[in-house]
Amino acid sequence: MQDEESLVRRAKQHDQEAFAQLYEEYFDKIYRYVALKVGDRMEAEDITQQVFLKAIKSISSFKWKGFPFSSWLFRIAHNQVVDYLRKKAKREAVALDDTLLTSDDDPHLEFERKLDIEQLALATKKLTRAQQEVISLRFAGELPIAQVAKVMGRSEGAVKALQHSAVVALRRVLTGIG
Amino acid sequence: MKKNRELENIFDDCLERLARGETLMQCLESHPEQAEQLESLLRTAQAARETSAILPRPEFRARARYEFHSALQEAASKKRISLFGLRTRLVTAMVALSIILVSGGGTVVMASSSMPDNPLYPVKLASEEVQMALTPSDIDKAKVCVMQADRRVDEIVYLADKGDAQQVDVAAERLDECLKTLVEIASPKEAEAVAVVEEEALPGALTAVPEAAPAEEAAVDKATEKSALAGDGDLDEMKTIVVGNAASNQSALLRKLMDAPESVKPALHRAITVLATGYEQVLTTFD
Repeated sequence: MQDEESLVRRAKQHDQEAFAQLYEEYFDKIYRYVALKVGDRMEAEDITQQVFLKAIKSISSFKWKGFPFSSWLFRIAHNQVVDYLRKKAKREAVALDDTLLTSDDDPHLEFERKLDIEQLALATKKLTRAQQEVISLRFAGELPIAQVAKVMGRSEGAVKALQHSAVVALRRVLTGIG
Repeated sequence: MKKNRELENIFDDCLERLARGETLMQCLESHPEQAEQLESLLRTAQAARETSAILPRPEFRARARYEFHSALQEAASKKRISLFGLRTRLVTAMVALSIILVSGGGTVVMASSSMPDNPLYPVKLASEEVQMALTPSDIDKAKVCVMQADRRVDEIVYLADKGDAQQVDVAAERLDECLKTLVEIASPKEAEAVAVVEEEALPGALTAVPEAAPAEEAAVDKATEKSALAGDGDLDEMKTIVVGNAASNQSALLRKLMDAPESVKPALHRAITVLATGYEQVLTTFD
């Protein structure tokens, strides 16, 4: 991918090719982040789509100022997820759908992985919100610590501590389930 | 405290190394003193990383990409229209007013039935804007919008007959703008909206939408919303008009779809989608 800052600058001028490159770069990451947060395939699809449509509408207001595009985009995703969860607050989270899995996997591995994903989606819901966020951003969204720190408005040190405590808590929950 | 921080740093360092393709054993060998503590956590973290195996379904990926590109195109063309509009609309409106004053309105009357390929069409658009600006009440503005939407549909039918797919798309965009304006007019005014739901309490800056992030629409308790047109039977009257016009306009476009040139059919399909979605939003606002 070209230098992200120049892509963003072009996208702000409605350069479709530049925006399309940013879209391709972040589509899967945003989808995975949302899927892990909401635990529902159809909703994750809808929300992911909304994130990028909102990004198109709002790109002109984006100012770089040391705030990476990815952090901005994940904040949009976060806000969309919060909005969804708020509306669905009373509904119990459902297990991830089978179709979240890649279809060309070995059936045995797929079974193993399915268990992991289901456990993970359910287990993360037992963590604190901040811990959930760091797990989602770091492992599903694949953001480096520095960008997670920007999205969460914390120092890198604080995010490292949070990441550690999140994985400790996650292990405790997963061990409890297993 | 210092020990904790050290462990957190080592843990993060190992995560980065695993992400780069190093093995768990290589990481543990680099930190023999913390190996015992690290191993179980790194295995858990690796399991969490397996979530990256979640991929969007190919059909969703294709649909989302198509819609994203359509939205991009729409945004780009709106920008062009608005830039063009800023310069030309004022001028055209002034010209329209001058023509009204000079000709006693005859030209504007002629322009009112002009189609997009007619030189008087810009006068028609400008006079519509003037009409809207001079209409004082919301209910009357809504009626003007409804009438303008009908005109846009007539234009789409005319342009489809001509086989001009590009102009059908442009007219559909105008129809979309028109119906959105109607939604805006009918939407509850901010001052009346109550029960704004506060942003969920979340750690750090996540609670605050950043300057650059899109402004989240205030979530309004739907039960308390009332259309701005509510009162004195206005809303019922508008509803009846809009339901009727939505049906007749939709069937006009569907009929045209049957006998339009093949080259125009995709654009007509898009126009029908714009029409159906737009009217649905208007009726939802009325509800």
